[in-house]
Amino acid sequence: MKRPSTIRALALPACAALGALGSLGAWRADPPRFWGAWITAFLFLQTLMLGCLFQPALEHLVGARWSVPLRRVPERLGTLAWPLLPASLLTLGALGPLYPGWPGTGGKAAWMSPGAMAFRVALAALLCALSARILGPRSGSPAGRSRFAPAFMAIFALVLTQAAYDWVGGITPAWYSDLLGVYLAAGSFLAGFAATTLGTLRLRGQGRLPGLGADHLHNLGAWMFAFTAFWGYIAYAHYLLMWYGNLPDEAGWYRLRLEGGWLQISQALALLRFGLPFALLLPRAAKSDARRLAWAAGLLLGGHLLDMAWLILPSIGLPLRLGWMEVSVGLFMGSMALGWWARADRMGADLPEGDPALAQGLAFRL
Amino acid sequence: MSPSRNPALAMAALDDQVLAIPEGAAPPWWGRAIACTASVTALGFALMAWTVYRGIGVWGNTSPVFWAFDIINFVFWVGIGHAGTLISAILLLFRQGWRDAIARFAEAMTIFAVICAGIFPLLHVGRPWLAFWLFPYPNQRDLWPNFRSPLVWDVFAVGTYFTVSLLFWYVGLVPDLASLRERARPGWRRGLYTLLSLGWRGSATQWAAFGKAYVLLAGLATALVISVHSVVSFDFAVSIVPGWHMTLFPPYFVVGAIFAGFAMVILVLSVAREALGLQAILTWDHLDAMAKVVLGMSCLMGYAYLMEGFTAWYAQDAHLARAFGNAVTGQYGWTGILTLACNVAVPQLLWRRAWRRSYRVLLPVALAVTVGMWFERFVIIVVNLHQDYLPSSSRPYVPTWVDLGILAGSFGLFFTLVLLFVRFLPIVATSELKARGDHA
Amino acid sequence: MREAPPLLRTPPGPPQPPLTHPWGACGLFEDPGALVEAARRLRGRGPLEAYAPHEVHGLQEALGRKAPPLAAMVLGMAILGAAAGFMLAWWTTAIGYPLKVGGKPEGSWVPLLPVVFEVTVLFAAGTAALGMLFVLCGLPAFGHPMLATRAMTAITRDRYALSLEGDPGACAQALREAGATGVEAVHLACHAPKPMITLAAAGAGAALAGLLAFTLVKAYPELRPMVRMERQPRVGPQAPSRFFADGRAMRLPVAGTVARGHMPSGATTEAEAQHHLNPLVPTPAVLAEGRAAFTERCAVCHGALGDGRGSLGRAYGAAPADLHTDRLRSVPDGHLWWVIRKGRNAMPGHEADLEGTRVWALVHYVRALQRSRHALDSDLPEGNP
Repeated sequence: MKRPSTIRALALPACAALGALGSLGAWRADPPRFWGAWITAFLFLQTLMLGCLFQPALEHLVGARWSVPLRRVPERLGTLAWPLLPASLLTLGALGPLYPGWPGTGGKAAWMSPGAMAFRVALAALLCALSARILGPRSGSPAGRSRFAPAFMAIFALVLTQAAYDWVGGITPAWYSDLLGVYLAAGSFLAGFAATTLGTLRLRGQGRLPGLGADHLHNLGAWMFAFTAFWGYIAYAHYLLMWYGNLPDEAGWYRLRLEGGWLQISQALALLRFGLPFALLLPRAAKSDARRLAWAAGLLLGGHLLDMAWLILPSIGLPLRLGWMEVSVGLFMGSMALGWWARADRMGADLPEGDPALAQGLAFRL
Repeated sequence: MSPSRNPALAMAALDDQVLAIPEGAAPPWWGRAIACTASVTALGFALMAWTVYRGIGVWGNTSPVFWAFDIINFVFWVGIGHAGTLISAILLLFRQGWRDAIARFAEAMTIFAVICAGIFPLLHVGRPWLAFWLFPYPNQRDLWPNFRSPLVWDVFAVGTYFTVSLLFWYVGLVPDLASLRERARPGWRRGLYTLLSLGWRGSATQWAAFGKAYVLLAGLATALVISVHSVVSFDFAVSIVPGWHMTLFPPYFVVGAIFAGFAMVILVLSVAREALGLQAILTWDHLDAMAKVVLGMSCLMGYAYLMEGFTAWYAQDAHLARAFGNAVTGQYGWTGILTLACNVAVPQLLWRRAWRRSYRVLLPVALAVTVGMWFERFVIIVVNLHQDYLPSSSRPYVPTWVDLGILAGSFGLFFTLVLLFVRFLPIVATSELKARGDHA
Repeated sequence: MREAPPLLRTPPGPPQPPLTHPWGACGLFEDPGALVEAARRLRGRGPLEAYAPHEVHGLQEALGRKAPPLAAMVLGMAILGAAAGFMLAWWTTAIGYPLKVGGKPEGSWVPLLPVVFEVTVLFAAGTAALGMLFVLCGLPAFGHPMLATRAMTAITRDRYALSLEGDPGACAQALREAGATGVEAVHLACHAPKPMITLAAAGAGAALAGLLAFTLVKAYPELRPMVRMERQPRVGPQAPSRFFADGRAMRLPVAGTVARGHMPSGATTEAEAQHHLNPLVPTPAVLAEGRAAFTERCAVCHGALGDGRGSLGRAYGAAPADLHTDRLRSVPDGHLWWVIRKGRNAMPGHEADLEGTRVWALVHYVRALQRSRHALDSDLPEGNP
């Protein structure tokens, strides 16, 4: 009884140490490749965290009731903003090798200079951490949260736009697209709802969410279904406009992603983030079927990771690889995130018992 | 629902309040109002006839501003329509109970707005009796429309939108028409309601199919409404005109449409509830919820304007920078400033709960949004077009009195249709309120 | 709360024996709970149907019915719509009427998706609405016996009801036992319902109006303003004009205008022409064109071989030039070009008949004829014996 738990307790730190060692080696051996993998993993976690924080904020904003019983899951996942604060400062190391900046001395050169970018990154990370504090599982006053919800919506929009323009667009400074922030937000919603679904199913499996019925699951499924369609819409609109305009300085961005091995990855992305989950969740019964929900959420999270790689790597000129460097970075980031989740899993009560709307939320029926 | 209240009595009271409106004699204000709107409509139709007879040279359109009031009004009216679909479909899926009381009215506004919108492309083609050439059908000329043109997408999108909105509206009306049929005295009205209600008898089979169809239609209409205004935005965004070729356009247009539509619903519904004495059914809670939507959309519009301005600077492109400069400075600068003020600044008043619940603030804000959204389309279309890549082909645009008269006529038509609807059809979906059981 | 007005409909009179026959009975209930309860009790007693002023959850289950298959119908039609929309748009752009626009590939799926989506939604929503009304609800049903009952007025207002088909007396008894009030016998009318006739008349009228409009448009395309676009204000040939100073509507081209496809030549004298070089490369196509021009214009006098022995010269005793003389072999190309265009001695100028660069093609052919009489060894194809 004691031994397995010791092994389990030691497994995560061991993985993290191994990953850190490998990452250090990768950083020395091939900086662009290392930073490519690092930013992919970082953006994956950051967008997931924002997507999770979005859910309690939306609940407070519109006064939703059904999501009250399962609110702790996204609240706890949202606390990832805390470990991501140092992680985003580490990510600034990529500015030299991957982010060329803008030549000259004008306003845009100043905007894209490492100092300005570091300032924005730090500000974004701080705002996220602050949001996680206020919206998180340990926060006190419900009135304060409701009041903060609209402010969080602004933070959500600005941080994702900053990530889109700085982390994604900064690699190719001459290229621009004002939909990219919305594209990232669409992915962030999906990742957030998929993570919440998996977390809710896990807690429910452990019997920690008594009273949570099939109707609650149905709503989670419906949200995932709606946002797969939304992601498909945004991704298609983005592609269509660049394809149609066919301007050399715009279309090159897609050309990189439709040539060589990236063409198949682009197709896989459309399937993973839209085609398969959409078909899976289309029947009404499927939306409250735990197995199907878990499958859809898993596909969506995998698709989100692939999406982040698809945004970053082709612009650097790298193919999609899974060598020891990528595995090390993944191991490090993954075990850190899981380690944090193990801590966050115990934050606050599983059901938000102090919330006056909890009874209404539990009584929710379609 | 409190157990002491008799639900049957409340349902009867609801019927007597809502369904009695089409049954009674026309109130005196109704005749005066429809005389006003109908004469404006007549003026608009006369000017449309003049346009068709003389050709579109009677408009202010000129090279390079080939699209002007015709397309501005089209985009404006289609956008107004979207609030209706949003209220009836998206809010149904989100189970927002407050939508039930206003959904029927909003759906009707959708249909009337799309009718107003449809007139403009028809006039825009210049020879409206040949507009069927836009449809793909085998013909002796062996010609086919270009399916890669966003203008053909528009035909499909707006055509589908009108058809589906009409079906959605009609499906919801059938049970209420059956109620009207049963209440009517023998005569032409009874005959009309009998015909339109198709012999609906409210059987369990019928209600089960009805409920299922309503949810399915809501889901389809939700996707449709987003696609329609995205397709409208493609009319601009697939081109490479500076200021039009922006990837943000599809969601930005959808948000703008919802924004303008909700403002219009607030305006019309406020008047209707006072004029018809429906304060108990259409409450301040409804207006408050709609004001919140307007505020939220206003913030999203602010984000879109911010992104456009930022991108114009970030792109470091002389033409893009010039296009955005034209929007806020120079000859047409006032239109851009007015747009920003009406769409972003003024709606911020709605943060205060007391102001959301006061006609004195709510109605001017809704009016400002309506004006602001019309001018937004003016900025997008006219200001971006009047100066293109060649300096030699810059030419200012000035509308003629025909343009202004047709715009006024479209408003006249819209309000005439609203007045007819109020007079002859149940303006609240009584069967939906009956199902909710918390009415009256 | 206001007083409910008396029911406006007058109850139907006693049934006329030759016009109706018994169908069953129906009775009213006060609230949905009582309705569901009674429906459970009466299940299996004959064809049973429940009525309500709104959708009552659990009623279908109480009646022992499954959910209507509308979602499957809609999905099927959506797939059909997507296929139809795609085939229509793709066939048109890729096969039926391919247009080269903006350098885009003709069969690309990217710009077709909006149309495919709209057609899909049209099919699906049309199925949801019309399939519900006309298939699942069995409408229009103006002649349904329940519509003639007193209960119908109450059902569409605020009451719940059950109907049982069979002998009216027995059915009424069963309904009363299940707790129904206001039980009445239901009779089936044996004549076509009036609204159906109205609908048919309206349909016929619409078809007639459409046919009339179509005929008018087809028969009178010249009605103002529907005139064809070729009928526009314009001036006829050689018409007078008050706009131009010389009073003529027809204008000459601006001095120095070069028509499309006409190569300007700078030579105005024979001496200048001597310096013109042949702009064409003697490809087989150019030589074929030159041969055609020679056969058409020259061979009749100069002979097919260019030796001056054409059929016309022999018939009239004229002496066309032999093109193989040393003089004509040594003159520059520009000289031949000038003479062909302007004529020489009895030979007319061919400027008006040989357009564009045809003269130069002809010059190449004449050179080829001359070469044929003075071929070098190197002109022979290699490898021939």
